[in-house]
Amino acid sequence: MSTPFCRSAFLFMANITEKLGCSVVGIAGLGGLGSNVAVALARSGVGKLIIADFDNVEQSNLNRQQFFIDQIGKSKVDCAIENLRRINPKVEVAGYKTMLDTENIPRIFAGSDCIAECFDSAIAKQMIVETVLAKMDSVKVVSASGLAGYGKSNEIQTRRVGKRLVIVGDGRRSTDTCKTLTAARVGIVAMHQANAIIELLVDEIKV
Amino acid sequence: MNTLKVNGENYSYKDGEMPKTIADLLLSLGIDSAAVVAELDGNIIEKANFPKTKLQNGQTIELVRFVPGG
Repeated sequence: MSTPFCRSAFLFMANITEKLGCSVVGIAGLGGLGSNVAVALARSGVGKLIIADFDNVEQSNLNRQQFFIDQIGKSKVDCAIENLRRINPKVEVAGYKTMLDTENIPRIFAGSDCIAECFDSAIAKQMIVETVLAKMDSVKVVSASGLAGYGKSNEIQTRRVGKRLVIVGDGRRSTDTCKTLTAARVGIVAMHQANAIIELLVDEIKV
Repeated sequence: MNTLKVNGENYSYKDGEMPKTIADLLLSLGIDSAAVVAELDGNIIEKANFPKTKLQNGQTIELVRFVPGG
């Protein structure tokens, strides 16, 4: 069809694709959150992903993380790069097999427009959010807090805190209180994160 | 009367009873500071500086408390 509406819709989509294609997103941690955020952003055509995790794939990860049985025992970074290439070979991926800390975060994620905090421990989440906000001028961070258990999908929210921070989750269901992590509920939070990142890139960063 | 706006909610204090620092505020709210990120009037305050960051009447504070899971 060649109605004016279709043409403007096409131009609108082309504009979004172009903005995402010139974006760089850091993903800190490749667990239930990070492995899912990475897949969503690769499918969406984000130009470059900088991924970091020190761990290997374990059997117990497979109930919620985007890895496969034949990847057990291999580095998560290597496996994620392999999987992302199969999804979208146009996405550039830089991988770091290292433990992130206040010193290396600004260096490893230099050039990122936005960083997804995808850690497990609360202390580590605090550390990276504080580091990005205090040490990395103008870089935005999308973090997750409260995603354990199952059900209660609509308690998961995306909340803006100040200019550079977005928090996703229900804010309270933790692995201390709920004990279980499910693919569905972690996945909802990861998709909130990916969706918030796309919104930031298109509407605020690549204007 | 003194007020602080914490996560969008107004807290009123009698003279002399307002928390003096961010660390005092967290204590009064029963929040463990270990996994908290704080913004004071839009500026990030590092956790190490919570005890020495003084609060003034009318300020806006955003507190984000992280719980484990990922």
